[in-house]
Amino acid sequence: MSKTDNLNPGEAITRRRNRREILTYIFAGLLGGVIGFIVAFADQGDGSLFKGQWEELVLDPTIAVILAITLLLALIALPLWCFSLTDELVQKRNLIGYTGGSMAVMGGVPAWAVLHAGGLAPFPSAAGAWAIGFFATMAAFAYAWLTSR
Amino acid sequence: MKNRLKVLRAERDWSQAELAGRLDVSRQAVNAIETGKHDPSLPLAFRIARLFEMTIEEIFDDGAKS
Repeated sequence: MSKTDNLNPGEAITRRRNRREILTYIFAGLLGGVIGFIVAFADQGDGSLFKGQWEELVLDPTIAVILAITLLLALIALPLWCFSLTDELVQKRNLIGYTGGSMAVMGGVPAWAVLHAGGLAPFPSAAGAWAIGFFATMAAFAYAWLTSR
Repeated sequence: MKNRLKVLRAERDWSQAELAGRLDVSRQAVNAIETGKHDPSLPLAFRIARLFEMTIEEIFDDGAKS
């Protein structure tokens, strides 16, 4: 007898939903691991993808294409696919998160540029712009999660 | 927005997970609606009303006097 045999029909559906969510997290983690593994063993230069030292990063062209496809899958295709699996509460949280990240980049990068022009900040970098987007997305998502739980 | 979801669920002796499964949403969504942290979309409000065989107005109260 399986664990779900004693559950009511709705509870069984919720159990399946939770299991699918956990499997998605595991798959995302594995994808991240694959990216880290490839970068760690294929990097030929002095740079680092994860430390934002992108100008010194050197990769074999084939590895670069594989990595680019994997990154696009992990950071665009997978989140979009997850959007189709989640309910409206999670979609709302994700929309707030991604809106926060997008607005932070659109406002933060030009603000950074003028601060550089005034001699108050280093020249805006691609890795820095990505970091603004990433951390702002996480902060906005955390805000949405905390205010709707 | 105030609602009677928790009472209606308790009357049927359903857990949040049971109601969530019947509505095809997460348990967190049911909890957020019950505590007033999330207002359901119109399609979800209709699903809730159909499940309890009531009108939306009998379950949800936006506080506006008619």
